Amino acid sequence: MAGSASKGESPSEIRTVAIDAEVLAGKRFPYQEDISLVADIDLLAATPGPDINWLEDVTLLEEDGVPAVFDRYSNSFLKIYFDIPEGSEDDIARKVLIKHLVDGNSYGITLKDVHCKFPQVELGPWVAESRIVGENWKPTELEGWTAPQAH
Amino acid sequence: MAGVGSRSGVSYDARGLVEPHAEMPDNIEVDGGRARFDAADLTIRQINMALRKLIYNDGIVDVTVLNPSSKHSLAVGILKRCRIHFEGSPGWFACGLIDGPEVTINGRVGWSLGENMMSGVVVVERGGGSLTGAAIRGGDLIVKGDVGARTGIDQKGGTIIVMGDVGINTGFMMQRGRQIICGNAGANLGDSMYDGQIYVAGRVSSLGVDCVPGEWTDADAELIERKFRVHGLGKPPQFEKFVCGKQLHNYDSLEPSERKLVI
Repeated sequence: MAGSASKGESPSEIRTVAIDAEVLAGKRFPYQEDISLVADIDLLAATPGPDINWLEDVTLLEEDGVPAVFDRYSNSFLKIYFDIPEGSEDDIARKVLIKHLVDGNSYGITLKDVHCKFPQVELGPWVAESRIVGENWKPTELEGWTAPQAH
Repeated sequence: MAGVGSRSGVSYDARGLVEPHAEMPDNIEVDGGRARFDAADLTIRQINMALRKLIYNDGIVDVTVLNPSSKHSLAVGILKRCRIHFEGSPGWFACGLIDGPEVTINGRVGWSLGENMMSGVVVVERGGGSLTGAAIRGGDLIVKGDVGARTGIDQKGGTIIVMGDVGINTGFMMQRGRQIICGNAGANLGDSMYDGQIYVAGRVSSLGVDCVPGEWTDADAELIERKFRVHGLGKPPQFEKFVCGKQLHNYDSLEPSERKLVI
């Protein structure tokens, strides 16, 4: 097993070599276990253009033997634990991913507030409005650390 | 961080801002949720500053840029749903790194249109230079004229549609995504590709290493019919499909971290 947390296990207790969305976040999200929470997601409304656009490349994959969708905004797999109806695998994978992004739970997005160097929307094009981050970027400083004297 | 001045008048800071003339243009006309401005006398930075301010801060959803005058790197890094129209021709690297915009260009473009594009739609009414859609990861890129060499090099997703011809090394090291080429393709089509599909309606000068004809499926017909229909491109011609022969590269042997680079 590489980084998977099965039902009942705390993600923080799992040693991992792969990158798992719930390990990055430190928790599992309800929509990974309950299909009803993604049923109303409108993929066409969440994507630019007249069809599903970039979601064309998002399909249901598998990570550690568990169905999963890849979140390119955090370079991690988001596992899906509920039973997926046959014939709607990719559709469900896309809905779970969009729910994850719309809710602002993608780890890469949570890093934006501190690390964005230029003003940009916090969330991406999957929401109509989002606050702006990166307007007052300052280099991160380690507490108690001082720069060495120049030679 | 405050910029640091220099004798030349160029300011810079730790983020690498080096271009002078960072003043916001004063020729922007706003009408409700729409805006337009003439870019003829503006610097690249001014044009991009204006686009970001209008789209991010002012709630503008539709911007027209007049006279882009072949300036490079216009409308890069816009990460929000909006419409941008260029009346004229941008230069190199137009619309790179975008995530969401729907862009129309009434002109031609230079190298690397939509480089690293994440999502959105870009439609070019005339031709494009080399490296169109380089490393594109998602969205639709449509060029109604011819394009140069290495179209979709390192493509990792998305759909590139060229209504005319493409040059040599099209689809070089392509890893995912789709290319729909209505005209002829130059030599070495799909050279060293990992995955993805290339559809060509015209003549193919030669196939690159490990690029082979692919089996046509209902999914291919559905994709092409849908893309032509939703983008108003008319009736699609007959295409031949090309894919990776899987003799050169094989995802199954990649480490997980390597696999993530291409999905």
